[in-house]
Amino acid sequence: MAILELRDLTKRFGETVAVDRFTLSVEKGEFVSLLGPSGCGKTTTLQMIAGFETPSGGTILLNGRDLAKVPARARGLGIVFQTYALFPHMTVEENVGFGLEMRKVPADERRRRIAQTLDLVHLSHLSGRYPRQMSGGQRQRVALARALVIEPELLLLDEPLSNLDAKLREEMQLELRRIQQEAGVTTLLVTHDQSEAMALSDRIAVMQGGRLIQEASPFDAYDRPANGFVSSFLGKSNAIPGHLEGGAAGTKLRCRELTLDGPASGETPGPVLISLRPERIEFTGEAEGIVAGRVSERIFLGDKWLFKVETGLGELLVVRRNSGRREPEVGEAVHLFWQAEHLRVLSAESAE
Amino acid sequence: MIRNGLFAKLFSIVFAVFMLAPLVVVIGVSFTPEGFLEFPPSGISLRWFRAILDNPDFIEAAIMSVQLGVASATIATVICIPAALAIGSGRFAGRDALQALFLSPLTVPTVVLGIAFLRFLSMMGLNGTFWGLVFCHVVIIVPFVLRLVLASVTGLDPSIARAATSLGASDWTVFRRITLPAIIPGVVGGWVLAFITSFDELTVTVFIVNPATTTLPVKLFSHITQTTDPLVASVSTVAILFTVALMLIVDRIYGLDRLLIGEGSR
Repeated sequence: MAILELRDLTKRFGETVAVDRFTLSVEKGEFVSLLGPSGCGKTTTLQMIAGFETPSGGTILLNGRDLAKVPARARGLGIVFQTYALFPHMTVEENVGFGLEMRKVPADERRRRIAQTLDLVHLSHLSGRYPRQMSGGQRQRVALARALVIEPELLLLDEPLSNLDAKLREEMQLELRRIQQEAGVTTLLVTHDQSEAMALSDRIAVMQGGRLIQEASPFDAYDRPANGFVSSFLGKSNAIPGHLEGGAAGTKLRCRELTLDGPASGETPGPVLISLRPERIEFTGEAEGIVAGRVSERIFLGDKWLFKVETGLGELLVVRRNSGRREPEVGEAVHLFWQAEHLRVLSAESAE
Repeated sequence: MIRNGLFAKLFSIVFAVFMLAPLVVVIGVSFTPEGFLEFPPSGISLRWFRAILDNPDFIEAAIMSVQLGVASATIATVICIPAALAIGSGRFAGRDALQALFLSPLTVPTVVLGIAFLRFLSMMGLNGTFWGLVFCHVVIIVPFVLRLVLASVTGLDPSIARAATSLGASDWTVFRRITLPAIIPGVVGGWVLAFITSFDELTVTVFIVNPATTTLPVKLFSHITQTTDPLVASVSTVAILFTVALMLIVDRIYGLDRLLIGEGSR
């Protein structure tokens, strides 16, 4: 059963439409991400669910109950803010207990639940500290505990990891996923960080210009992007403008002077955008090469290599796993190969 | 730590001497055994401190000033907290105009204010009364309080109030439990600054007092126009000590740097 249902949710600020007929439902226990660049309307959507913004149209149902007339303080949602928004003059324990206090939970039960939740986020040893005495990662956990202790029907996370440094962010991703699953809480995450969305979510809703562009599992959104925007926003991608031609033997793609074998595609013949993931391209010998090129840049990333290759199709990004073997040097002539099934044929208008 | 250059150090020393010299002179003069203003004093005597006790009108004026300062600073603070919250965190039409209005007493020459208040209080029949004085002082000190409270409010993360709301707190509870404690350094700093400004105010006050409501600065001023005995110096020394004591207490509790520079409670 859907815990959260958004139907045609719309928000206008004067002339601008921040959120445009956005429809989404989140099932019980699910972890869903709203992913998009800044200004795509994801934060406004979260604000409307939380009750800090009033929708211009559409409905928000929480457990089947219409939230239109319910004030923010009565919605019972757990919210983790980007800035953590801990109460600076209260200890960890007091911060976490605030929601229970507001619910008039008796003191002994309050203590028990605070202890239980701090245990869940591994912070029991710091319950007497003030927020200013803690690191970013610890504050993050306090914010999470404060939101979880009230046992919310829905947990809203607003860019929760964006203030952490890269290494800590990866650790917290795993931690956040563990805590979410242990608590079994339905979660909606708002983020502009595609790797965060992919790592954490059961489902991703990609937003652009206030609209829902694609709703899919992280793997499907990455592997079968709905359009050029999703393809370039999720991970790295080579976008090649081309022309699709249908045929009895299969599709053909014409790009500049080259003709490529295309995959099966629902697009109608005409101008299209071809998307090819850099890790699906291989270096090969002259005989098998689909296109020849010259390495123009090479970057070593530890676990992998990133190449820029000048080809007849334009500049292509190629990513190779670091297998310990020698890789082509800058200036070296190379031949590129890929399986036709890895090409994605997207509508030409969806280019960024 | 930034290391200061020679010039910067020299400048700081000159500046400190410039600021402190008048205080040193006043305190020095107050210990003179002679009957006239003399610096450096030819001896050490508490004669002029004893003289304060023989002049109960000085003590009355001092009590008057403290009462006036406490009442005005408190009223100004109570007005400025909601004003600063609205100006600092709200978005509404006329916000800049409101802020300009609150800060405008700073830009009007105090003599002009004094004459205006004299006219106004006469019309209202409040001339020379305690609450008439309080009203005028509130107008004068509101800009000081507002600026300090506003600095605290601006440094406040608006998400904090939202977090409290999402946890089930009513607007009043959010204010009482979250917002007010978070901006209390600015509030206390504003109150102290307002109290000192009120305690010290002469230009406007001299227009609107009567003998029953004479404040300490006005009393000193009128005394000095008649005689030049060192009594004014000893009274000033007591006032300086009182102010220093107040500052020390506040510094102990909240930290002066934080209050007057207006850093939030992070």
